[in-house]
Parts: sequence; structure tokens; C-alpha cells
Amino acid sequence: MPYVPNTDRDRDEMLASIGVASVDELFPGVPADVRFRGVLDVPGPLSEIEVDRHVRSLAGRNKTARDTLSFLGAGVYAHAVPSVVRHVTSMPQFSTAYTPYQAEASQGTLQSIYEFQTLVARLTGLEVANASLYDGASAVAEAALLAIGATRRGRIVVASTVSPQVRAVLSTYLSALDVEIIEAPAEDGLTAIPGFDRLCEGAAAVIVQHPNFFGLLEPVGEVVHAAKAAGGLSIASVDPIALAVLKSPADYGVDVAVGEGQSLGSPPGFGGPLLGFMATTRKHLRRLPGRIIGATTDARGRRGYVMTLQTREQHIRREKATSNICTNQALVALAAAVYLSLLGREGLRELAVQIVSKSHYAASALARVEGVKLRFGGPFFREFVLELPVSATVAKEELSRAGIWPGVSCGCYYDGMENCLLVSVTERHTKDDVDTLASALEAVIVERRGS
Amino acid sequence: MSVEVAREVVLEPTIFEEGREGRRGYALPPLDVPEIDLEEVLGPGFLREAPPSLPDLSEPEVVRHFTRLAEMNHHVDRAIYPLGSCTMKYNPKINEEAAALEGFAGLHPETDARDCQGAIALMHGLARMLAEISGMDAVSLEPPAGASGELAGMLIARAYHRDRGRPRSKVIVPDSAHGTNPASLTLAGYEAVEIASGPDGRIDVDALAATVDDEVAAVMLTNPNTLGVYESRVREIIDVVHGAGALVYLDGANLNASLGVVRPGDVGFDLMHYNLHKTFSSPHGGGGPGSGPVGVKAFLADYLPWPMPARDETESRGYEYYFDYDRPKSIGKVHGWFGNFLVAVKAYTYILRLGPDGLRRVAENAVLNANYLQEKLKDDYELPYAGRCQHEFVLSATRQKEKGVRALDVAKRLLDYGAHAPTIYFPLIVKEALMIEPTETESKASLDRFVEAMRAIARECETAPDLVLGAPTTTPVGRLDEVRAAKDLDVCWERS
Repeated sequence: MPYVPNTDRDRDEMLASIGVASVDELFPGVPADVRFRGVLDVPGPLSEIEVDRHVRSLAGRNKTARDTLSFLGAGVYAHAVPSVVRHVTSMPQFSTAYTPYQAEASQGTLQSIYEFQTLVARLTGLEVANASLYDGASAVAEAALLAIGATRRGRIVVASTVSPQVRAVLSTYLSALDVEIIEAPAEDGLTAIPGFDRLCEGAAAVIVQHPNFFGLLEPVGEVVHAAKAAGGLSIASVDPIALAVLKSPADYGVDVAVGEGQSLGSPPGFGGPLLGFMATTRKHLRRLPGRIIGATTDARGRRGYVMTLQTREQHIRREKATSNICTNQALVALAAAVYLSLLGREGLRELAVQIVSKSHYAASALARVEGVKLRFGGPFFREFVLELPVSATVAKEELSRAGIWPGVSCGCYYDGMENCLLVSVTERHTKDDVDTLASALEAVIVERRGS
Repeated sequence: MSVEVAREVVLEPTIFEEGREGRRGYALPPLDVPEIDLEEVLGPGFLREAPPSLPDLSEPEVVRHFTRLAEMNHHVDRAIYPLGSCTMKYNPKINEEAAALEGFAGLHPETDARDCQGAIALMHGLARMLAEISGMDAVSLEPPAGASGELAGMLIARAYHRDRGRPRSKVIVPDSAHGTNPASLTLAGYEAVEIASGPDGRIDVDALAATVDDEVAAVMLTNPNTLGVYESRVREIIDVVHGAGALVYLDGANLNASLGVVRPGDVGFDLMHYNLHKTFSSPHGGGGPGSGPVGVKAFLADYLPWPMPARDETESRGYEYYFDYDRPKSIGKVHGWFGNFLVAVKAYTYILRLGPDGLRRVAENAVLNANYLQEKLKDDYELPYAGRCQHEFVLSATRQKEKGVRALDVAKRLLDYGAHAPTIYFPLIVKEALMIEPTETESKASLDRFVEAMRAIARECETAPDLVLGAPTTTPVGRLDEVRAAKDLDVCWERS
């Protein structure tokens, strides 16, 4: 057994020094009728060669953006991952360490998370950020819990343009608490402002996503204003790459900014691990969930980092903790810190400009296909919704035969959008990719019409 | 600002203090479509005035910065990391290679089922293996961490009771429980009721029987418990709880001691979570990502989070594996997609490498190593709960405290000896607790080195306590001022 160093001789010596004759005698506390005496029905053991062959065959039965021309997005994106990011996150000093309980032996992890917190604060314009959460969805749910605690109110208003996955997780998190969730209606793909202030009455928080599920830029200022006027908090789920060019949550007066950080240096990974982030104002610092890293010094004046404000956390406060989170996404947060450091101020801006340029080129090219139009009129960032003259599912099926995945069918998530496709464009797409999609889509539509 | 700050010595500047405007560490290909005028297309009202102040560094500067940070970490690949209840075992490298395969890492969660058969098959297979290992009937891989699995478990308990009339109001946890237990049950709308452990470190069954009533929805147990002691009267405990119509939840943090030795489902546990990052060898990543699947008996299976990986051997859909979204009784989703899938790939690879005998040998050697350490250390430190331990045991530094040295000081001194410290001050019921879990992947030589270090520190407490009180001295920084960190809060870098 390559992972267990003890040999039979080691075992015998150790048993002798313990003073027992067999390993079985080490389990006197486990009653005989509780012991499992059978053989587990699991496969293996496989050698490394065999297991490698097996997992490669499984991986080979999955198709990715390398095998197809993919425009899938909807919250998880196949942005390019710089080689340096994987190099750093593969370092065993980072990957095989644990939560930095002993600060003096964990300065690498602690400083990198402190830098991550600072990067999140700078992107969002807010004062403080935590050390990460599981994903953008749980970050929204945790932000709602923060607001419920801060306002002692039991009502959450969430825009219906917030990603359906996120709303599903939010609803699970709040399902056992005495909290009412109201979905705010949308008009032309955006949170409808007329009547919105009335919805906000008595709300602990108002949640908006910017850009929203359809890729559109939301009237965040008006949403925040309505939340504030009603005495509740505003929560914005934001896209960290878009923040290179878009107004920051702080510019709008948002109280809690959260979001999904997978796009910052992590692959899609079939949806996990992802990276939730959360930032807020100093006022709400002590209500933040999860770890927070702070700077301090040792006795000789050397700067160092520790986990701080731990009295918010479950291992100290137990049932009165701000959240139940313990394990977070530290290594994914490290990936984001490395990614943002590599791209830097100019690189992230250029990335955002390329995404906007390519997505807008794609939107015009696709909307020129006969019978196809943009579903919504507002400005968008990386994604846009196309309305087809045929069912989106049918178009997807036909295009996938040509090795093209044109996007996500909106009909899975929204009634009345069966002909709509959510198309996501990143810096990895070329003009040729977009042109290929446009002509293939045209061919499908012509063929459908002809038949 | 205090004088100390003025004299502050910086080992590695923050990334914000490095680099220079104009440098870049990554370049994109030239834009091959017309560049958009953001103001014109998005509208000036949406645009920020100044870009976020990210650092400006070249690639080698970034690599050096993070490499220097890496060098300041203790980690499993370097030496023993005996944090109790954390199962810091060796992380096999083949797991990382498997998870990095393009067919897994590059896979988008919106991919049609027909084009991700390998991934769903893997999830389906891992869920089945986890069920077999624990004696449960159905497993969801969706919870991304142990605490998330606990929350899912408590919501399942709630849904179950609600379907039988009312959700009930309380959940019982022993005073030795992990802090996540009371935090998770609170989030699930329950009130925590704590019961005291008996003098042998086990649950006081009479006290439990007196506490369980028809308001109790569940009892959360960790078994072996956080003292490393197996609850020998587990069947009685379960009978008492079931007698009141409540469910018995297993916190699977300590499952490493049970692999192939005990199947919790056979014993009567109704539901549980697993920690793939503990028992099943995926690396801890400095605090995450983990994975905390939730497993249940058949009568609770309908409540598991949606979607569930499923198999249709008739291939009526044209393919074999699919996600089942049609789960009307489900508690809902606890993760945006399917949980930490790439962590699941690592656990799957690990189980296949070990097979049934290998899994049992993991548990046996974890228990052997812990008992060996306990035996070697029990004369130098107080052992409040004597007897054979399971995968971990808890010492107390009360004897050392008489010399003015606390568990914290012993922990810091261990760092000077090149070991990571045990978990300290937990479980809460042991004073000056040092909770030690060596895991099966430490060799006898490594354990002997740890024993030597612990004994040397015990001697130092007698003869030279200042050495221990002044520790650590060999780490990049000396003992850090946590009080100051909380008082003069600095959680975000600003140029002063």
C-alpha cells in the first residue's frame, strides 16, 4: 500500500510497545456487534497505471471548449488561465497546508489571503472583504443572512434577473428561517423600477446581479436607492472582470458586494470548485461570515498576519456564529490573487475591453442572421440573449452536430423564453469563431424554414 | 500610530508594494474585431472613473512573490501535520493529475448530459462507493464542505419531520461537538441543546434519554468523538433517539477511523456527511476547497439536494447517465452547480487506488499510529481520557501549566522542532487540550521524531520554560500579536 508506510515489522514493534497483540485489540471500544466483518463492495485496488487509464477514459467521454466551439456561460466561464496560476496553486506549500491555525507556520497562506481580501476590496471599492465563500450563490445567501441579522427584518427582495442557480441556493439557505423571499419582476430583461420601491418596504435587503443573468447592466443606482429609502441593505452580485471598467458597488452605495470569482484564474471544473467573495463597509465588518485575515506584528516588530475577529466564527461562537462556514475556498482565492496580480491594472482593463468588443461584434453578427434578433435592448457585458425563429433546444441540437455549442437555452430557466439562447463570449473567442457560429446558425434556420 | 509600526520589519512586501506602473505579467492576443468605445456602447453612466488599483508586475515578479510566500508555509509534503479532527494525511499526486485532465477541469456545467457521460458516471460511481463505505443508501455530492453537508442534513431532518406533521424545534449536540454542528442546526431553524459528556468522555446515555423528547428533531453525533473515543453504547443511544421519533446524524469528520471497520448505516445512523478533504485525501488547500457529501438511508433519499446523478441502463434517452431534476421533495440546492466536482474526482481516484482492503488498512493504521503516539506520550503529558483511542487522542497541558506553560506555548514550540502543532483548546471539555491526529500516512520514524519533540518540550517546561514561552524562534516570524490584530484592525492593505 503505497500511501501507508508501516510495514508488518513496524506494526509488530508498535503493537508491542502499546502492549497489545493485534490491531484488532486496538478497537476494544467498538462493540463486536457494531464491527463490520464483510468486504466493502468497492472497486480496486488499482495501480497508478490502471487508475490513470480509467480516469482518462472517463475524462475522454466529456467534451469541452477544446473539442467544440463553445459559447456556454451563465455564471461559469472558460476564460484563459495563465500558466503561472496553475503553477502557484500546485505548489504543495499552498495546496497541502490547512486553515492557518498556527499563524507563524502559515504566513504564506495568510499573506496571500490578506492580499486577496485587498484585491476584492479594490475591485468593489468597499472597505473590507472576507477570505472567501464556497461560490457566488452561497455568497448571496450569506449576504442575505448578514442583512437579516443587521436589520432584524424578515423579508428579502431578489431581482428575477439574478441567476436561477443563485436564487435556488438562496431559497434553500433561508427555507428554515422565518423569511419571505419576494422576486422582483423584470421588464426588457432588467429589474422593473416602477413599483420597485413598494416591494422594498420592510425588506432586510434587496439583491441585484450586475451584469445580470442575461448579461445586461442593471439600474443598480435606482435599486440601491429604493433599498436605502426603505431602510434595508442593498446587496449586489457583481462580475469581478466587469469591475475593471464598470462603476464599483461602492460608487452606487451598495452595502454588501458579493460575486463569483471562478473567472479569475480557475477552470470551469464542471461547476466546482468555484469562488465566492464578499465585501462590505466597516460598519458591517463584524457581521461578515467566515475567515478574515488581519495584519499585526511579532515581538520584534516583524509584520505578520493572523486570522482575526474569530469571535464571529463557529469554532468560538458555536450556535451564535455569524455563519456555519468553516472550510472555504482558500486555494481558489489564491488563484484569483495570482490572476489579478498577473493581469494588473492594464491587463484586466484590456481583458474587459476585449470581452465587450468581442461580445458586441458577436451580437451584431448573429442578429444579422435572418429571423434572429437580440431579445433585449439594454447594454450588456459578456453575454447577450438571442431570440431565434426556432426553439433554442432544437437549434442547439443541430449545431452540436457541427461541433458548435451556441449557448444556454433560457427556456430551462424562464417561461416564455423557449426560443432564446444566452450566448457568452470571452477573450478566447476569435472573429472566425463568431463568424463560424453565425453562418452555421443561418444554415440551421434556413434548413428549418425550408422543411 | 505606535512606535512598533515605525520599526516594522517586512519579510515579504505585499504585492501592492511591489512592481511598477507600466509592467504587465500577461498579454492577450491582439483584438481581431473592432475595438468598442465603452462610453458609446455601455454609456458613461455605467463606467468607473479610475480603474481599480491592481498591482503592476511582470511574470517573474509575480512568481517570485508567491514562491517566497509559499516558502513560509508548513505543509503535509514537508512534515507531520497532526491537527486533531482535520485528518491531515498525505495527498496522492495521481489525484491531482486526474482532476487536472481537460475532460474534467475544462468541463462546463451547462454541457448536455450526452457530452459529459464520463463526469456524471464518476459522480454516480463515487456516490455509490460512499454509500457502500458508510452503509447509507443514497449520497449527494453537492455540499461543497462539511458544514454545508451538515446544513443539508439538518434541512433534510426538518423536511422529514414536517412531512410527518411538524418540523420539531430542537437538535441535541454533545459538548464535545465541532462548532459547525450548533452553527449549522441554527441555520436550519433549530435550537441547540447541549448535553454533557460523561466521565469517560462518552455520551451520558441517561442524560440523553432524559433530554430527548418529541421536540427533538435529531441528535448530531461524532463517532469516534472528538476525544478519539468510540461511543461504545452507540446502539443504545440510537435506540433512545429513535424511540422519541428523532433522527441520528453522524458528523463524518472522523470517518477515517471507521473505513472498512464500522459502517455507520449498519449501526443505525440515519444520515451523515463525509469530508472528502479529510478521509478521502483531497488536499486542504490552505483552508479549502473541500467537499462535504451528505448521505442518507432510503427513507430520506427523496429529500436530498437536486439534481442527483442517475443511471438509466436502458438508455431510453440515448445515453446512460443523466441528472435527475425531478425531485419534488428535495430540500433544494446548496451549491450553484454540482458541488466541488474536481474534489470528487480526487476522492474517486483515491478510493480506486486503495480498494476495499486498502481502505480498511487506512483505518487500522490511523488507529495504530494514534495509539502508538498516545502510549509514548501519556507519561509526559496528562491523558484525561485513558484507554485505547481511535484515530486521535487528546492530551492536556495542565501539568505544564503549573510551570507557567500553556498548551498554546507547547504548540508554538513544536513549530521550532519542524512539526505542525496539534489542534489546541478543542474539544472545549478538556483544559489546555492538545488534540493529536497523526493519520496513517506517517511512518514510525516520523512518529518517533514527533515523540522526541514532545518529550523534549516537556523537559524544557521543567528546566527552561522561557524557551517554550518564547517560541517559535525558527519560523519566519515570531509569535504574533493577535490582540493587536483585533484591536488595530488592518484587514486590507493601504499605503501608509
